[in-house]
Amino acid sequence: MSAGQAPAGQARRRAGLAAAGRLTSRPEILVPAVSLLLVLAAFLCTPLVSGNGLTAFDLFNTLQGLAQLGLLALGLGITMIAGEFDLSVAGTYAAGGMIAVQAGQSSAVLGVLAAVGAGAAIGAAQGGLVAAVRIPSLPVTLATYIALLGLASAMSGGLSVTYANTAATLALDRPVAVIFSLPSLITLAAFAIAALVLGGTRLGREVRAVGGDRRASRVAGVRVERTLVGLFTASGALAALGGALLSYSRASANPDPGLQPLILATVACLVGGVSLAGGRGLPAGLLAGLLAVALLGQIDAMTALPDYYTELLYAALLLVIVAVDAPGLRRGLDRLRAGAANRRGPLAR
Amino acid sequence: MTAAEGPVPAEPARRIQPDALDIGIAAVVVALVVAGALTDRFFSLANARAILAAAASTGITAIGATLVMIAGSAVSLAVAQTASVVAMVFLATQQLGLAAAILLGLLCGVAITALQGAVVGFWAANPIVTTIAAGFAVGGIATWISGGTTVYPRVAAFDGLNSTPLGLPLAVYVLLALTALAQWVLRRTTVGKRLYLLGENPAAARAAGLPVAWVTVAAWAFFGACIALTGVFLAAFNTSATAGLGGTLSLDAIAAVLAGGTAIGGGHGSALRTLGGAVLISVISDLLLLRGFSTGIQLLAKGLLVLFVVIAVHVRSARGRR
Repeated sequence: MSAGQAPAGQARRRAGLAAAGRLTSRPEILVPAVSLLLVLAAFLCTPLVSGNGLTAFDLFNTLQGLAQLGLLALGLGITMIAGEFDLSVAGTYAAGGMIAVQAGQSSAVLGVLAAVGAGAAIGAAQGGLVAAVRIPSLPVTLATYIALLGLASAMSGGLSVTYANTAATLALDRPVAVIFSLPSLITLAAFAIAALVLGGTRLGREVRAVGGDRRASRVAGVRVERTLVGLFTASGALAALGGALLSYSRASANPDPGLQPLILATVACLVGGVSLAGGRGLPAGLLAGLLAVALLGQIDAMTALPDYYTELLYAALLLVIVAVDAPGLRRGLDRLRAGAANRRGPLAR
Repeated sequence: MTAAEGPVPAEPARRIQPDALDIGIAAVVVALVVAGALTDRFFSLANARAILAAAASTGITAIGATLVMIAGSAVSLAVAQTASVVAMVFLATQQLGLAAAILLGLLCGVAITALQGAVVGFWAANPIVTTIAAGFAVGGIATWISGGTTVYPRVAAFDGLNSTPLGLPLAVYVLLALTALAQWVLRRTTVGKRLYLLGENPAAARAAGLPVAWVTVAAWAFFGACIALTGVFLAAFNTSATAGLGGTLSLDAIAAVLAGGTAIGGGHGSALRTLGGAVLISVISDLLLLRGFSTGIQLLAKGLLVLFVVIAVHVRSARGRR
């Protein structure tokens, strides 16, 4: 911000413009920030529609919604940053929930450990496959998604399995510090760890490099294969943990949760500024996107608006993201902007 | 994904030489025939009918998905919602007569899907994000207009669609006709050649002056027609429609395309392969069902089959490039 000797007001405006310019060139911050602000504003306006004031319980419920989807979205998001799209997390989510319920009837911790172990193993196997054969992850993980749904269904004979350990269910749904609960705290902790690892370590830089330009990062000495195996292992473990916590808190495991969790987790990632093209995204942005999705769900519950409002809102939100991310559209807009900037003179940029 | 590769040998030449994939597929087929022979009632006319009917339920959509995948747009996640909407439109317009109702359903499916194709083609938008958005929009609008209720026809003009000429459901004939049409378009027409080029190397296609966006829209429009036909048959079969009628069609169709050996990266594949993939999946499911395995095991086998084919196809094409 080299304002020089220009008057303070002008300097501030130019600094503001420069910051705005940086933001528009950094969708991983802009998209989640704007979406979260919009949804927060809508959330604060819900009393106008519902007639009831906002309570701490609404925040608690929002965070419960965040916890239901959060670990799934985090697992999906970190692979997306590395340029992969791991559809199988939805299968691991279902299978993890089923394993946790069946292995954890006597000890909840044992069930979670079994689920997370299985999820990590599934993820490691897929990561190893994707890295060794250098195959795009979408078709591989689509196949494993189907297979894992089959596994979850075969484990339970196609039926939901109830979780009889009511002590664990009650413990998970008990409020902690008014608005939190064990699952939401675990989710937030996982995001904090992801932010530390991706933001402050060599591994984080390597993940983004792998997602941005795989060939170049390989040439530059990034351990692409190891990074991929590690990421898929982490995403499998996270998805399984998410599934386990969900089934415990619902006191039942559903062998086929359908596509909805996957779609909503993807929306959270995209709204969180993660690009499907890879190389872009921050855990903090992802958390903001997730919070936006959870808030939308809570708004929906509080106002008792018909479901299609939320669906149309998601569609509109995603269309904006489509437009922000579309290279063809951006090329056209850049041409327009360049023309306008030339007319106004170079300072205006 | 295959941006900077050299010229690729023509597909037919490669299909003649057997390799690991062909041997693997042959082994699977032989194993299925043996298992079928050992399974009571597998080789019967009624069972063949059941297999083909099951193949048609995803196959028709899968044929359309093949063209889109060959042109390089990996997958669509709005298929189930589109099929549901078409089913609703088709049932709600029964009083206009069968032809008009089918036509309106087709128009609806083609318009919805071609619009997504236009966003992908003209803006170079990510197909996955675009189709998730479209899925929400289509599902939302369908729930809005229908009020979230089930659509029942006022009169049933669709009975003819449930007929079984020569013992086979009409949908099977439609599947075969669509396969032949798509195969002809892919192999014998300019549009088909452009689809392969676009999927193989979009930069080259653009540099060669192809109307890339319009070729994409054409592929998606055909896809939309295929989805619409699936929706029409779904509606006729179920005689009522909800916003959730499409079920798992989105991923089932992709699974059939992938099981046939069409590569997800674009530039390779054929409609015949997809027909094979759809039939293979329904044969395996049918066999497992007859042997008393649960739906879960059937899904597991389907996933593993797709996994095997996807990897084998990728390894082969990677080797071919070296």
